[in-house]
Amino acid sequence: MARDKNEAIIQYLLQCQQIQNSPLYFNFVNAKDNTNQILTTAEDSIFGETYVDGSTLRRYTFTIVTFQSITENAVVKDGQHPNENVEDLQSFQSLIDWIAEQSNKHNYPDFGDGYIIDDVSTTTAMPRLDGVNTEVTPQLAMYSVDIVIDYLDITNTVWL
Amino acid sequence: MAVKQFNLASKQRAERKLLITVAEWTEDGSQVREILGTRTPDSSIEYNPNIETSTDILGINYTDINNTQPQQDFDPYLVLGGSKLGAKLNDIRRRNALSELNQFTVYIITAFVGNATDGYEAERHSNCTITYNSIGGESNVNFPISVYFSNEITTGTVNELKDDFVFTEDVSV
Repeated sequence: MARDKNEAIIQYLLQCQQIQNSPLYFNFVNAKDNTNQILTTAEDSIFGETYVDGSTLRRYTFTIVTFQSITENAVVKDGQHPNENVEDLQSFQSLIDWIAEQSNKHNYPDFGDGYIIDDVSTTTAMPRLDGVNTEVTPQLAMYSVDIVIDYLDITNTVWL
Repeated sequence: MAVKQFNLASKQRAERKLLITVAEWTEDGSQVREILGTRTPDSSIEYNPNIETSTDILGINYTDINNTQPQQDFDPYLVLGGSKLGAKLNDIRRRNALSELNQFTVYIITAFVGNATDGYEAERHSNCTITYNSIGGESNVNFPISVYFSNEITTGTVNELKDDFVFTEDVSV
């Protein structure tokens, strides 16, 4: 039976520690420290081919945005004192690494009957810094990454 | 027999998925079938007619078709989990058991003629050959194949569009 794809994505992401450990919002932005938000950025669309059996390659795209408090402190050059901003970026990087790891393991969201997931991937290998808000306390950096799910829709095939 | 008309509305196009090629073979005494074309975006049956044209002294052309050699290529034909034909051909490939490649029955089902009640028009080609042409590719393993139809044809209908369809031969009146 087909499942709601957004629910499937939420369940999938909840397997990731980075997501588990922070409040998660769906299509809502709560610009507070250490929050994650799933924002649907494109419709579930045909991007590829239709095959002779009637199946169709589709792509679902969404963005995960996170807010992290940042410091004004400059990088200490002795190499022994890590910079908070670098650590926060690394924390979000772990989500991207987790997606890649799941792809290697073929652990994908479950869209239900009629859908075969080909791959889940991120469009960039590291988070994107979308902006820094210095007018709030604590000051926040906004990072994001786009995630794409390529899947085969076999609900329209003629052969049962 | 009267020619059956397409089961399409006037000027409606037939979707490609309504032209179906199905391979059938025997494995351990059981009949196995599989639809061809999963993950193949474009595939046509090429009839390759052998044509001879002559012109008489009045300038009139006479064209004879000696035979057709129908062939259908599936490229890409990806190695997919659950593909029974892919597994069968790969087994033949690794044993180089080429004589086993010409033991297929292939059905061409025109699902734009007929319906679920009366059956869909089909033709059965016995003793067809299916060859693998290469194996490899880029990110996914491609194992393109060609189907060579025998022209040993039995016309009929299939009662449903799934692997365990029943083929009923046409009866001449």
